[in-house]
Amino acid sequence: MASTNKLNWCLVGLLLAAPALPARAQAHPPKAPFFLTLHLAGGTGLVALGGGVRVAHERLEPEVLVGYLPRRLSGTKGLAIFTLKTTYLPWTPRFGDSRWHAAPLTLGARLTYTTGQQFFLTAASSGRYQPGYYWWSSAVRAGLLLGTRLGYQPSGGLRTALYSELSTNDLHLVSALTNRSLRLPEILTLGGGAKVR
Amino acid sequence: MLHEFPACLPWLRDLLRSGLQLLAGGLLLGSCQLIEYSPNQAYVPVRERGQTARNLQLLGAATGTDTVRFVFVGDTQRFYDETEAFVTSVNQQRGIDFVLVAGDLSDFGLTREFQWVNRRLAALRPPYLTVIGNHDLVGNGRAIYQHVYGPLNYTFDYAGTRFILLDTNGREDGFGGRVPDLPWLRRQLADTAGARRTVVVSHVPPTDEDFDPALVSGYTAALRADPRLVFHLSGHVHRFTAGQPFHDGVSYLTTYSLKKRRYHILTVWGARQFRLETVAYGLDK
Repeated sequence: MASTNKLNWCLVGLLLAAPALPARAQAHPPKAPFFLTLHLAGGTGLVALGGGVRVAHERLEPEVLVGYLPRRLSGTKGLAIFTLKTTYLPWTPRFGDSRWHAAPLTLGARLTYTTGQQFFLTAASSGRYQPGYYWWSSAVRAGLLLGTRLGYQPSGGLRTALYSELSTNDLHLVSALTNRSLRLPEILTLGGGAKVR
Repeated sequence: MLHEFPACLPWLRDLLRSGLQLLAGGLLLGSCQLIEYSPNQAYVPVRERGQTARNLQLLGAATGTDTVRFVFVGDTQRFYDETEAFVTSVNQQRGIDFVLVAGDLSDFGLTREFQWVNRRLAALRPPYLTVIGNHDLVGNGRAIYQHVYGPLNYTFDYAGTRFILLDTNGREDGFGGRVPDLPWLRRQLADTAGARRTVVVSHVPPTDEDFDPALVSGYTAALRADPRLVFHLSGHVHRFTAGQPFHDGVSYLTTYSLKKRRYHILTVWGARQFRLETVAYGLDK
């Protein structure tokens, strides 16, 4: 149990330290590239708060979110969900001189880590099973995202964008790929939120 | 814009309007099903909660018969295509009182998996009952199972037979000596009111290495001591086995997983009489 906890804290530390890395890589940003995120649903908790940075010529948005799943939804204790997420914005048209901007299509990937004693990082680390007994991690999920967003920036004000996204995770995907009868909507999850910059 | 349609085409207007309403309703309903806060959340819509109680209510009480006839199958565990074929096959059977699924409904213990399985098994004409499997306990699975189905240990009576269903997934408890709950099992076996036969159902059979080794002798002794016991039923091993592995007159049966495209029909009557039929389905696929 002690080794699981140590691993858990290492992972939390890594997740929290992550945003510092890309920030340093961009030595002279043209404009403060940092943003704050409020995210709802989508598999990362009832609500998740966090932030990130715009890098790669405003095309990539790595961010960290800390989500909360209240007791009423978890059925056990309230659970914290840590998310490491990157969004790719291939096309960000502006509408002339207007203050509106959009990203009609966004692509993303994320890793989530769910806290709670009932979750294991690997089956072997829980001490209850031989290696390979359960091949997946119940604490960590990998996900893919497809979204859209619309933003507005009043002159001299904060740039605010609203977004929504559909996602799926590794285990839902494995289920769908091995069963013809599982339809696409059955493995999709809807989430959304706001980013302020 | 709809009011601009020519007056001679009111039916077209109505058609469009109802089409739009359907689309809006579909999107709303669809997006409700799409909203999930965690793949491990125990929360499911009200209509998907408490399936054990719901199915027991559907089962009701047997009237004027001493015979119970039920389908016995094992692990549905990520075999959704096979589960649909299974439902089609069972619905062609006549005279089935209920369907018994011997655990591992899910593969990863995720909320959606329980919903996928329940939505498919809900199409069964007879009610269906479950016992929890080790895969159902992974992650937050215990809480999810409790929400979607109900208690991990429970009993019901039908046609003079007491069915005792319990969690025997000892490895998931770290072999802590608490699973299966032997005091609870002994209490159920000791309560002889209203039933002349007993059937005990669990996911992991006591012959398996995932059964708490410290509890095997207590478990088998409790079963041995019950003169009304017809047999002990399990899943987990994904194949049919039948025998008396403890050489004590107690019969232990295990059944196929859905992957095997076979299931059993068990008929129980009289003083511990039973018949076992095997049904194969959809093997041409």
